[in-house]
Amino acid sequence: MSWAGALPPLARPIIQTMPWVMVISTCLISLAYLAVLAHFAHAPSSPLGPDAVRLAFFPAVAALAFVPRDPSRPLTQTTPVPAWVAPAGHLLLAAPILAATCWAQLRVVAGTVPPHALGHLPAVYPLIAQLTGWCAVTVAAAAWAGRSRYADLSGAIAAPASIAAVALAWYAPITSRFVAEPPGSPHGVTIVWYAVTTAALALTGVAMRDQWHRYSRRLHRPRWPGQDPPGYPFSKNR
Amino acid sequence: MTTTDGGAAFPGAGAAHSTGHHAPAGLTARSQTSRLRTVLALGRVEALLLLRNRLVLAGVLVGGVVIWSFIRSAQPLWWDADWEIGEGLLVLAMAVLAAAQLAAGRARRDAITDLYASFPTTAGTRTAAHLASLAGVAPASLLLIAAAAVGVQLLGPIGTPSIAVLAGGLLLVIAAGAAGIAIGARFSHPVAGVLGALAPALVSFQYQRFPGAVVWLLPWPLESNGAGQLDRLPGPLAGYPPAAAHAGELAGVAVLAGMVALAMTIHRAPARVRAWLAAAGAVAVAVTCLAGAVQLRPIPTADLNHLVAEAASPASAQRCTTASRVRYCLYPGFGRDLPALEAPVDEVLARLPARPGQPLTVRQVVWLSLGDPVLTHGHPAQQLAHWAAQLQRAGILGIPPASGIDLPVGSWPAGGGLLTVARFDLALAAAEWAVHLPGTSGISSTQFMQCVPVGQAREAVAIWLAILATHPSASELQGGLPAGHLFGTQVGNAIVPTWNYPGVGNGYVTPSAGGPQLTAAGYRLASAMTSLPQQRVAHVLAGAWGRWLNWRTTDVQLAAALAIPMPSGPAITPHPSRGRVAPRPGPGPQSPVCTG
Repeated sequence: MSWAGALPPLARPIIQTMPWVMVISTCLISLAYLAVLAHFAHAPSSPLGPDAVRLAFFPAVAALAFVPRDPSRPLTQTTPVPAWVAPAGHLLLAAPILAATCWAQLRVVAGTVPPHALGHLPAVYPLIAQLTGWCAVTVAAAAWAGRSRYADLSGAIAAPASIAAVALAWYAPITSRFVAEPPGSPHGVTIVWYAVTTAALALTGVAMRDQWHRYSRRLHRPRWPGQDPPGYPFSKNR
Repeated sequence: MTTTDGGAAFPGAGAAHSTGHHAPAGLTARSQTSRLRTVLALGRVEALLLLRNRLVLAGVLVGGVVIWSFIRSAQPLWWDADWEIGEGLLVLAMAVLAAAQLAAGRARRDAITDLYASFPTTAGTRTAAHLASLAGVAPASLLLIAAAAVGVQLLGPIGTPSIAVLAGGLLLVIAAGAAGIAIGARFSHPVAGVLGALAPALVSFQYQRFPGAVVWLLPWPLESNGAGQLDRLPGPLAGYPPAAAHAGELAGVAVLAGMVALAMTIHRAPARVRAWLAAAGAVAVAVTCLAGAVQLRPIPTADLNHLVAEAASPASAQRCTTASRVRYCLYPGFGRDLPALEAPVDEVLARLPARPGQPLTVRQVVWLSLGDPVLTHGHPAQQLAHWAAQLQRAGILGIPPASGIDLPVGSWPAGGGLLTVARFDLALAAAEWAVHLPGTSGISSTQFMQCVPVGQAREAVAIWLAILATHPSASELQGGLPAGHLFGTQVGNAIVPTWNYPGVGNGYVTPSAGGPQLTAAGYRLASAMTSLPQQRVAHVLAGAWGRWLNWRTTDVQLAAALAIPMPSGPAITPHPSRGRVAPRPGPGPQSPVCTG
């Protein structure tokens, strides 16, 4: 039987082990933060803009960094079903929550713009592309950190690392013309961010399919290269 | 006995004994000493772990980069630079908060609380040790402060640092660590630490949503936001920022967070200990509230009066020096900038066949924004109107006179390529004054527009003088030309291609009368003139200096006199009826020609 046949029965444990509380609470924190800003932004001269949405999305992105972590990976790796199924399922479950959060944030921001405001509102699709790319970069960072000796803290590493990386790309003169609007055009920025998303998802896939098991510390060293001591079961050579 | 991280054993860790409430006095004193030794020993180990934490190390690195990015662009003023050092410490504080939360929540996160419960040390002792470990981040903070101070000193700062501000930065890091321990004592999941670390940034970046001086209650208001006028002041202003009170607030928060962390982990402590904790927490709350109230007080009227007077009548505060018949007026403390200002101006004046009759004055100005509620909160509208009228009467908010060049305080670069650009801007302003190029044309009593010296010889002469005086790089000069698409300004019914000189938007210098909008044709001719022997150009200019200063003398005539072809470039085009040529957003739809 193909491992795909085992997926339907896996749906329930995947849903049960999904960190719902963390994801939903952080998304609510994001919305609450934006709502507070909107409360103080009622003056027509200071409506909220895309920057406020980006800032408010910080907590949601931070929570997303902890979603790919599967604490029972050493166990799931021994089953016929690939170990990446559980974190991938968690990510699929988190995606609609984040999308709903983004939608709600955009609604909150739109509510602060006076109905007869002069000029056009900035296009939303580059912002959505940027947030999507940001999420993908965060997930990729978490997946790669999860395959390192710091797997236990992969989310704590990935969240600040991805925020720092996106901030660097945003403000560095070399990259800002591609990822920030302005100076980039809305169309160009959107294409770049979706390209980043694609690349990050590919990297995430590579990291999640990695089969090696890593300990945080190597307890025993081989006495000579290429030979592991007796009782060292998770050898690279096995 | 091992550390919580499985490290080496430490002396005294296993020496703690539980004591009953009715233990003999000697035994109680001995066990208290033993507990203190345990706390200190554990704290030492935790401090080392905290210092080795990658997050903290990254925080030091990123904090240093942030500070450098803030201070390198302009000549540092210590009353502004010390606050910017605090902004770098904010980054370190965020990292320390996350790392401290990870450390405090380690036992619950790794599901080894039962194992810890079997140790002689209590949870309260371990929390006290975590709090003691924050002393370990003090050296990292001090190292960052010291490195930043050295960097500022190397850039030639003005003024002296404020110990209260720098101490506030150190307290910020410690308070963040204490808050991280309090969060970790309750929430062990790492996301809590990340969210806690993000909170100050989320609040600080949207400071403008909060009214008035409330911004000072934030952990560290960003200089680019809340404390936005620090870099424009000619000297320190008492109460802006309220550094001592802010340090007091941070100290109160640190103690309060520590007490909360202890209260959450000491479950079976004697009533006396709980009472002490409650008392310390109450004192911390009182100190925090008191410090907050002090920060919310308006800046004294007398101090703001003095500041507005300094800005409105600079002559009353500045020290003026006359050199080469040019008057330089600088605020006290800025005298060291005089040689850097004199050099480009003298280079221009040395090449003039004849100088204008009016003397040139180069002066510093302060661009105050009295509409900033952080600066002027708590003062009646009548007082604000009075100050605004003072500034308006003095013309500080307008355009400098035809014989003056204004240098906004805080805009002069510290060094490097930016200094070359600023020197060029000053030389160009002096050259425009020398060739009688007016900058603006009044279209009403209150509105002015930049004029455009379309096809005028004196424009090329001014640019040539500035280039020879400061020798900027060719790439910087060429960068201001239209590239790929045509941009320009509308004069009459035509679009005139313009040239943006280096540093045009940086505000290093406000030229006399605002400065004209220079054209691409003028720059191209000046560039061609620089390739000629200097003596030859000087001879041609000296031969008919009065003629070249006449606004009716064209650049074509100058090129002919120099026996060079007029450089080609995008021609002046009729204003398009459709959007084929898009003028840049600029002074307006119709710029006047510079005359007179």
